[in-house]
Amino acid sequence: MAETLKIDLGRMAITGNQAIARGAIEAGVRITCAYPGAPISDVQNTFESLASKPGFPRNNPFTRKLGEALDKAGYDLVAKWGELTNEPNALSFALGNIICKGDKKPREFITPEEYDTIYGDTIFAKKNLLTKDEIPAGPRVMCSIKHLGGNTGADVARTLMNIIPYPGGLCIASGDDRQGTASQTMQDNKVLFAWHFRMPTFEVHNPVNAHVTVRNAYELCEELGVAFAVIENYNQAYREVTADVNFEIDMTANKRKKGFVSDPYNLVTIGPQIRPKEKRHWGKIIPLIREKFSENFEFLNNEVIRYSENPTKMVIVNGPFREDFNYIRSDEAKEKEFKERYKDPVVIASDLVWPLPSKVYKKIFEESSIDEVYVFEEGYSRLMYFETLDFINTNEFDARVRNRGIPYEPRMYERFSYVDHIMASAS
Amino acid sequence: MVAVAIPKPEERTIKRPVSNCPGCGATKVSMALKEGLRRYNKENKAKLKLLYVADRGCGNLQGWHEYGIVDTITNMGMAPMVALGAKYSSGGLENNYMVVCASGDGAYNFNINGMKIAAQDPPSMYIIYDNYAIRMTGGQIGLINEYEIEGKAIGFEVYFINPYRYEENAEVFKGLIGEYLNNKAIMVVADGTCSRDLRAQLRDQGVKLGTFIRREDCKDVVYQKERERIAKENPEKLKEMPPFKCRLCGIRLRCQALLENDPSRCYNCGACAHYDCESLTCAEPNLAMVTEHPKKYIEVFKRMQGDD
Repeated sequence: MAETLKIDLGRMAITGNQAIARGAIEAGVRITCAYPGAPISDVQNTFESLASKPGFPRNNPFTRKLGEALDKAGYDLVAKWGELTNEPNALSFALGNIICKGDKKPREFITPEEYDTIYGDTIFAKKNLLTKDEIPAGPRVMCSIKHLGGNTGADVARTLMNIIPYPGGLCIASGDDRQGTASQTMQDNKVLFAWHFRMPTFEVHNPVNAHVTVRNAYELCEELGVAFAVIENYNQAYREVTADVNFEIDMTANKRKKGFVSDPYNLVTIGPQIRPKEKRHWGKIIPLIREKFSENFEFLNNEVIRYSENPTKMVIVNGPFREDFNYIRSDEAKEKEFKERYKDPVVIASDLVWPLPSKVYKKIFEESSIDEVYVFEEGYSRLMYFETLDFINTNEFDARVRNRGIPYEPRMYERFSYVDHIMASAS
Repeated sequence: MVAVAIPKPEERTIKRPVSNCPGCGATKVSMALKEGLRRYNKENKAKLKLLYVADRGCGNLQGWHEYGIVDTITNMGMAPMVALGAKYSSGGLENNYMVVCASGDGAYNFNINGMKIAAQDPPSMYIIYDNYAIRMTGGQIGLINEYEIEGKAIGFEVYFINPYRYEENAEVFKGLIGEYLNNKAIMVVADGTCSRDLRAQLRDQGVKLGTFIRREDCKDVVYQKERERIAKENPEKLKEMPPFKCRLCGIRLRCQALLENDPSRCYNCGACAHYDCESLTCAEPNLAMVTEHPKKYIEVFKRMQGDD
């Protein structure tokens, strides 16, 4: 039985960075590491304060109130920032922690057959160290980096996918500076995490509920044995909103036993080992991840909103666009206009970027007569657009896909309204 | 006709052992570490376990197949930080884990700041397999490392070992484990681990090195003769006999020349002369006979040969 610690901080201002930290604390994260930079510094800053590191006073209501409560409850938190010197070191430190599976947790999301697919090659299964109802578990780990860290740490991040299922329980938070405010590049890290690393990737949309995405992704991805990435843009990172901040912290995860079980077959990344793993990854693991993400689409803080029984249009609003779509929903006149323009569509409001929840989409396509799909996403990769195209081609559905994304984050300087953009984008 | 199951390509590659050169100094160091830990545990009635984190490099590839030394191999330069992370979440000494990191000289340069971080968070033990080249990618000459100065500057106590002196190194590691338990940051430099390079260098200078010699009473030799006799007298009985008797020297020193009793494959490292078996010697000169640094003593060899 999981031990849950409830802490009510009351109504307070909370930023996107604090919301990501909140999700990690609710998941019971024990190890936090970073080599941050704008816009994501405050995620690790929050952890450093909570861990009472010198030089990081608890100087805002969030860390002051939460820190006191965590101290009282004996919450175990390791925070490493400045001493790690760069992103590859931070990610390597995270990797060193995540391979230590000294404890176990009950199997909740996967079937015994799926357990075999993911864990069948591990020492836990081969030597019957655990039953099929038990998942090997270690500390939950959060590593935060700014978008450039995705480049410098790519070596480590890509290696993480060669040691599945050991990275389960690791979240990499990336702050994307798509408007080039404090970086030498304007970058869309979705393309790195989703396509290059093939890591489940989310883009959170609001400080009020970003913690739900983070916390629940920890639950699911830990069991699937994969690391996952959470991306936020500049606006999301710094925007302060008022929210009721009630924590429900998984103390069982935080208090897991330390330990290590040697499994060189899975943890040695040299040619003879990784060749069959790569094959298994493409052939079995990615389809399984797609399946489980489809099954748990709403659990992962995504929504399917149907405006009619048999819609002909599908609108995908991801990340920052989802926030503006929520604004449309909250305004009766705007919602009416939206419905008229898109002919009572079905809307996928998602934080999930990759993998595409193909089962959810397939069900919608089979039950409706969708002939047009509009994809609203931020960033130059147009990743969700291409994934949707791929889905339609693979399944031979008769529909057009319209790219309505914005390649960078224009909001801060250009006062660009995504509401107007959404409204004007219907054919 | 009996159907023979042909293994799938991935099964064949998985089962194919990673082979190091017979004289490889790196393999002897990792085996000496394991032996040192065994001796420490025995003498101190301790239950220390080894958690061995390695970078990619020929010094570390051998570890897991037949000897079970290496627990994880990741990319060049990652190992110091992976080891640090593993120390935090394995429980470290609380759970009797001694976390040891091993890198080549190339990986050391790749992430020297990772080493610095590790030195500032003791206890830590870092083994550098120094072969003076980036051997895995073709033998390019890397940066010159002055470990004595650099290691001390970043916070390590630095020790040099001759990789070919197995017995001596096992004792050195036994002692260093005590230092590790005293919360020290230790760097062990195995100087001149590539016997192949060293031999070639000496050969270019006209130096001929000696090869291993087994005495007639070596269990393997005796057993081999017995097998040959039975093969002549009763070939059917031969099938019931195992192919070897002892082979401990070959296994401990990870030497295919010894395992196959084939002097033509010997790289003249001389480790067998320092292995605790009376049946085994090595003709001098060899790489193990130099006092500390094989690489630095090549000039000495040259002079010795000139004197002869």
